Amino acid sequence: MSRYYYYLILINMVANVIASVPAILLQFHKQGSVSSMILAAIIGTILITIYTRFFNAFPGMTLPDLLKKTTAKWFYNPFILLLALVWFIAGLITLVTFAFLLIRFVTPEMPIIQIGSTIILSVIFGCLMRSERVLYTIELVTLITFPLTIFIFYKAYTSDNLNWDFVKDAALYVNQMPNLNSFGACLFLFLGVVNLFIFNRFFTEKQSFKWKHAALIGVISTMTLFTTYFIPIGFHGFENIDELVYPWISTSDSIRMEFFIIERVLFVFILFYLGIAFLSILIHWHVSMEFLKFVFHLEKIKFRGLTVGTVIPLPFFIGISLYFLRELNEYQLFRISGLFYDSLIFFFSLITILLFFIKRRMKNARQAKEY
Amino acid sequence: MSSMETIKWINEQLKPTNEFIQKNLDYENKHILLFYLKSVVDSDMLQNLIITPFFDMKSEEQLRLYVQALPQFQEVQSKEQIRQELLNGNVLAFIQDELYLLDFRLSNNDKVNQTNVETTIHGSQLALSDNLMTNINLIRTNYHQSSLSIEYLDKGEVNQQKVAIIYDQEKVKSDVLDIIRTRLQKVDKQVITSTTQLNNYLNDKKFSLFPQMIMTERPDRIIYNLAGGKVVLLVDGNPQAVATPVVFFDFMTTMEDNYHTVLISFFLRILRYAGLILSLLLPSLYVGATSYTPEVFRTELALTVAGSRVGVPFSSFIEVLFMLFFMELLLEASIRLPKAVSATATTVGGLILGTAVTEASLASNIMVIIVSAVAISTFVIPVNEMAFSIRVLRLLLILVTSLFGLAGLVLGFFALIMYLVNLDSFGEPYLKLYTVSKNKKRSEGKA
Repeated sequence: MSRYYYYLILINMVANVIASVPAILLQFHKQGSVSSMILAAIIGTILITIYTRFFNAFPGMTLPDLLKKTTAKWFYNPFILLLALVWFIAGLITLVTFAFLLIRFVTPEMPIIQIGSTIILSVIFGCLMRSERVLYTIELVTLITFPLTIFIFYKAYTSDNLNWDFVKDAALYVNQMPNLNSFGACLFLFLGVVNLFIFNRFFTEKQSFKWKHAALIGVISTMTLFTTYFIPIGFHGFENIDELVYPWISTSDSIRMEFFIIERVLFVFILFYLGIAFLSILIHWHVSMEFLKFVFHLEKIKFRGLTVGTVIPLPFFIGISLYFLRELNEYQLFRISGLFYDSLIFFFSLITILLFFIKRRMKNARQAKEY
Repeated sequence: MSSMETIKWINEQLKPTNEFIQKNLDYENKHILLFYLKSVVDSDMLQNLIITPFFDMKSEEQLRLYVQALPQFQEVQSKEQIRQELLNGNVLAFIQDELYLLDFRLSNNDKVNQTNVETTIHGSQLALSDNLMTNINLIRTNYHQSSLSIEYLDKGEVNQQKVAIIYDQEKVKSDVLDIIRTRLQKVDKQVITSTTQLNNYLNDKKFSLFPQMIMTERPDRIIYNLAGGKVVLLVDGNPQAVATPVVFFDFMTTMEDNYHTVLISFFLRILRYAGLILSLLLPSLYVGATSYTPEVFRTELALTVAGSRVGVPFSSFIEVLFMLFFMELLLEASIRLPKAVSATATTVGGLILGTAVTEASLASNIMVIIVSAVAISTFVIPVNEMAFSIRVLRLLLILVTSLFGLAGLVLGFFALIMYLVNLDSFGEPYLKLYTVSKNKKRSEGKA
């Protein structure tokens, strides 16, 4: 597979370590989080395989392209609009989470609107870029931020304060039945692959996706899940871990770099995770914007010869995000993210069925052409 | 049109030039008419190659054949060409009702310069000259390929300067070449004197911060770029060439990287990128860390910074802008000043101002260190054009940090990367991670 494909998966996986996913998992630490994680790892890897295989069969085609060929118009337009909305919300959740993080830990005196607009302004114009340029940006920023993220994980694993007894204690709860909320949160980590809905237009050559690629993704995701869940427990103990609002922030604040000019890992962690969040929002909103282009044919709207259509969604994106930044509080955000993750389980189950449907129709269309 | 009419027309056209000379030689039933501009023709050459032989020749027919056999001979195509070539330093000869052009141009600027912008320790110390033909000669003698093509154009409505487009036909991307040709056609400026002017005229944008072409004065760099499939533009009378399309990383390489051993050039490259990051981020980091989040640094360091700022009446970003302003002034001044005085300027500016500013507590000691570190690290960037862009960018980042704090700095930096990735240089992405793969086939397409 092309390396750009892995970035899409990896970013979604790593970006959510800091957000509400660990908080949701830890909240259900005695009610089946461990088993949900195992289940999600298996189902998630299968899901990634299905989606990748599907898009490999149609190199260079986006989902709207395929839908246009195979479905009726009354279904096509509202459905793409719904997809655009889902991707916008995914980006919005990351945005609001990070704005809250920044106001909590980095610049407490700054108004939330100002913090939010920093993130929005830096990202928003990137959403209008061509898909290949988005991928190049992802590659460069990943290259800058990832080594540090890995280093922080390394510091966490080698820290003296990490108590493996707690981890073993937590692992014993594997016998609990999986629950929906934990499962939804875990599954969200695997959903980076669905960005192929749009980004598949970049992969115009046929890719080879074999079991070893799937296995690699499975291993990486399992490690990410393990780190996300067990490291905070190792640092903070098993009982009452569900009380923590930002488990990973508290964890990174338990790590020190004694001899470096920055002593508290927390700041390095937040500032570099900001890069990953930046990418995550960029990907999601870019995909959302592209979906909107398919529905409203924005690139055809012109004013004095300039293509102004593509910038029409920007004020809406900015306005809606700023509104939610003002209105939401951390508890509501936590609940909404949980609901969003849960709904995605059903949503993407349905889409998987839709994909099989598209595949059959395309096959029929191809056969019809041959005769 | 007969030759006589052409001569009449030429005479009329060049009448305003009071240096126009018409020489009529008539000896032993041999007859020749010579027309030239005195100031641009090499009179020694004219004497040795035309006038002396003229008196030795037996017949007019022999003279005609002799003139045609001269290497300086070129065909006459139109009367406009004759006028242009006369202005360029050709001699127009009229023998037996036929017109002949002979290239006897006198150029005093064909000496090869010493490198002074892109100096290196290893490698050639010679740069281009001011003369286009000498430069092309330099390129040809270092690049022995039959596929090397050179196209000439006259640009600039008033001064009609010669522009050369140089490329390797087998390596160049044809769409890039087409873009350059069409955009060059569209340039309708009065005066073209430098290749770097073309940088602005060819990029199709009103405002651009980053150079779309790389300027160089080193023949080895030109060769290297030609072999890499780039198009090189040269303008007569300008000792700098520009090569395009470029990527960001071109601006961070020197020719010396190829001349050192692998590890040393790796080390130098790391040093250079560190310099780039430092000169870009250090002032903003100071603003963000002192004014917004002092707790980022370890306590001892935070206290040192705060302690050094005791007595400074400004907020940190004014302090930074204040010191950067003087640094930029010093940089500009040392370019403009004559060499003899510039040492004084740096002493006064750097040493005296630096010490006095801290003693008067208008800026902290650490600020002075930062400003000098920034100044030094800006010079590490090997291509001058990029260094200028970085100087402007630095100010933008300071602005963003002053408004949004450290998070603004980080996001601003990423947005900058995004902006660079989004830029095009003649149809090629400006910033992108290139990887060398075993098979050249790309597994992705273009979206």
